[in-house]
Amino acid sequence: MEIITRQKIIDDLAPKKFGWRGRVWVIVLLIFCFIGLVAYLLQLSKGLVVTSMRDYASWGIYISNFVFFVAISLVGSLITAVLRLTNVHWSTPLTRIAEIIAVSAITFASIIIVVDMGRPERFYNLFTHGRLQSPIIWDVVVITTYFFISILLLYLPLLADFNILLQIKKRTGSRLNKLYSFFGSFWKNKPEQIKINNRSIQILSITIIPVAFAIHTVTSWLFATTYRPGWDSTNFGAYFIAGAFLVGSGAVLVAMYIFRKAYKLDKYITNDHFDRMGKIVVMLALVYLYFNVNEFLAPAFKMKKTEEGYLHGLFTGVYSRIFWFALSTAIFIPILILVNKKGRKPLPAFVAGCLVVIGSWFKRYLIVTPTLLNPLLPMRDVPDSYRHYFPSWQEWAIAMGSLAGMMLIITIFARLLPIIPIQETIDEMEEHEKD
Amino acid sequence: MLAFFNEACLSQAAKNNLILGLGYFNSNNQVQYLKASTKSKINGKFRPVGDIPVRYYISSEDPANLLGKAVTNDKGIAHLFIPPSAAAAWKKSAKQSFLVVSDSTKEYDGVHSNFDLTKSRIQIDTLPDRQIQATFSEFRDSVWVAVKGVDMKVTVKRLGGDLNVNETPTYTTDSLGLIHADFKLDKLPGDSAGNLTIIAEVDDNDVYGNLTTEKSVPWGEPTQYVSSYNQRSLFARRGWSPLWLEWMAYSIIAVVWGVMIYLFFQIRKLKKLA
Repeated sequence: MEIITRQKIIDDLAPKKFGWRGRVWVIVLLIFCFIGLVAYLLQLSKGLVVTSMRDYASWGIYISNFVFFVAISLVGSLITAVLRLTNVHWSTPLTRIAEIIAVSAITFASIIIVVDMGRPERFYNLFTHGRLQSPIIWDVVVITTYFFISILLLYLPLLADFNILLQIKKRTGSRLNKLYSFFGSFWKNKPEQIKINNRSIQILSITIIPVAFAIHTVTSWLFATTYRPGWDSTNFGAYFIAGAFLVGSGAVLVAMYIFRKAYKLDKYITNDHFDRMGKIVVMLALVYLYFNVNEFLAPAFKMKKTEEGYLHGLFTGVYSRIFWFALSTAIFIPILILVNKKGRKPLPAFVAGCLVVIGSWFKRYLIVTPTLLNPLLPMRDVPDSYRHYFPSWQEWAIAMGSLAGMMLIITIFARLLPIIPIQETIDEMEEHEKD
Repeated sequence: MLAFFNEACLSQAAKNNLILGLGYFNSNNQVQYLKASTKSKINGKFRPVGDIPVRYYISSEDPANLLGKAVTNDKGIAHLFIPPSAAAAWKKSAKQSFLVVSDSTKEYDGVHSNFDLTKSRIQIDTLPDRQIQATFSEFRDSVWVAVKGVDMKVTVKRLGGDLNVNETPTYTTDSLGLIHADFKLDKLPGDSAGNLTIIAEVDDNDVYGNLTTEKSVPWGEPTQYVSSYNQRSLFARRGWSPLWLEWMAYSIIAVVWGVMIYLFFQIRKLKKLA
C-alpha cells in the first residue's frame, strides 16, 4: 500500500463542492423527484384509481420498489457489520458508502409504503389499532428499528471525522461547520471517548445483523404468509435475504466506481477493492441462484394445477421475457463478468453492478405482480382490465421519483460527509506504517 | 329498404336460443314456490343467463291467471312464491299446470315452459328403535291416496347440506305409499337439547315436482356452541393475539430498543466526557 500522509488523507477525503456535473446530476434528480411528487399529489386527490392496480394486482410497482429498497438497505449490515465483526480491514473505505446507501434506501422504503396506501392519513392506525398477529405490523416495527440502527451506525463512526472536519473550517465553509459542530463538537478524541465509541459500534454491529435479517425475512413473510401461487413457500425468507445481499453489493460496486471517479479516490478505493467486492458479488449471485433453483424447481416438478399458470407465465409465457432478462442481468451475466480477474477491474465491475441492480428491480416486480394476477380463486366475470397490469404514468413517475429520491439522499450525504471514513483511514495507514 | 330488411334478418338470426325451465317446490306441505331457470349455449357451453324477465301463470297464459313476475339473477334463477290470491285456482283441481313465459330481450327471443303437476304430500313419522317412516300420497277425487313406486330420500339436516341417515341413498314407496329408514348416525351433534331435523324428500319428480317434509327428533348429541371470538389466537381480532406471540414480540422489541437506548446514553456520556 502506498504511504499517504495524514494531511493528504484529510485533503483527499474531506467533502468537496460539486462541479458542474454534480450540479446537473442534482438538478436531474430534483426534476424526477418533482414529477414524482406531482404524480403523488394527483394520486392523493383522485385516489388509487389513477394507478393500474385493481382487485387482482392490488400490489404493483410501489410494492416492488418497497421490496427493492428494503433489499438494497441490507448492504449496510453486510459491509459494515459482518465484515467489521470478522476483522476484515480492506472494506473500511466502503463502510460509509454502504451505510449511506442503507439509510437512503430504508428511508424510501418507509415512504413508498405510505405511497401505496389509498388513505395515507390513516397510517397512524397501524400503531394505534395494529394487530400484533399481522406481518405488516412486524414490518412496520422492524423497518423503524432498522432505520434508527442504520442512522446510529452511520453517525457513531462519523464522530471522529467531524472532529477532523472542524479543524479545517476554512475549507469546509461556515454552514457545514455549523452542521459538524452541532453533531460532533463534543468529540475530542479522548481515549475514553474512543473506547466508548468503539464499543458502541461493536454493539451496533452485532445488533444490526439479526435486525437486518429480520427486516427482510419479515418482508418476505408479507408474501409467504399468504396462500397464493408463487408465494406459498418456506424458502422465502432465505431467498429474499440472499437476493438482498446481492443487490446491495451490486449497488456498492456502482457507488464505489462513481465516487472513485467523481472524487478521484483511486488511492483509497483501489482495484483491489473492486476485485474483492467482485468476488463477493459472484459468491452472492451463486447463492441467490441456488435459492432461485430451490424456489422454482420443486413447484415446477410437481406442477400443481394452482401453480401451473403462474410458472408457465414466468418461464415461457407472458412474463418470460422479463423473467429471463431479470435472471440474466441479476445473476448470469454478472457472474460471467466478475468470475474473471479482468472482469473485476473497476469499469467491468461497475457494469456488472449496474446489471445486478437493474435485474434485481425487475426480479422484485416478478415476485409481486404475476402471483397476484394468478389468484387461487379467480373472480367470476372479472373485467379484462383486472387480469393485466401495466403501471400507469403516475405509478412510473412516483416509482422513478422515489428511486431518484434515494439517489438524491446519497448525493446529499456525499456532499456533506466524507464518503470514506477519514479517521479510520488514517488509523489504518498509521498501523500500516508501524508494520 | 333491402339493406334494412337484411339487417333486421341478421339481427334476428344473431339471437341465441334460450332454454327456460320450470320447477315446482313444496316445503312441509305448506310453502309452495316456483323456480324458473334460464340458460343458453354460449361459446359451446351451457351457461346461466341472468336479467331475463319472466312471468308465471297458473292453468293458462291468461292475465287473470298471472301469479307474478320476476327477473333471473346471475345464476339464471328466479323464484316466485305462489301467492294466496291463487288459492281458488289451486283448489279447482287435483292436477295443476304452471307456466313460465320469458319476455323477449335484445339477445333472446321470448320462450315459455310449463309444468303439469299432480298435487301430492309427504308425511313423516318416527317408530321405535330410531326408525323413520314416510308416507307419500297424491290428491285424487278429493281424497289422499297412497302412491306406489315413488323414489324418496331420507336425510338429516346439517349445516352445509343434508346427510343420508344410513347407507341407502333412495327408497321406493310400497303399495301403501310407505318407506322405512333406520337412523344409523350415532353421536351426531344436534342443538343444545340434542334435537336433529330429519327430512323426507322427493326430488325433481316429473309428476309431483320437489317436495320436502321435516320433523324434529331428539336423536342427536346435545351440543353447546362455544364461540372462539373472545379467545386468543393468530386469527383473532386486535388485542387478542396469543400470549406466546406477545411475549416473544415484546421481548425482542424491548431487547433491541433497550440496546439502542443504551447507545443513546453512551452518546450522552461521550458529550459529558468532552
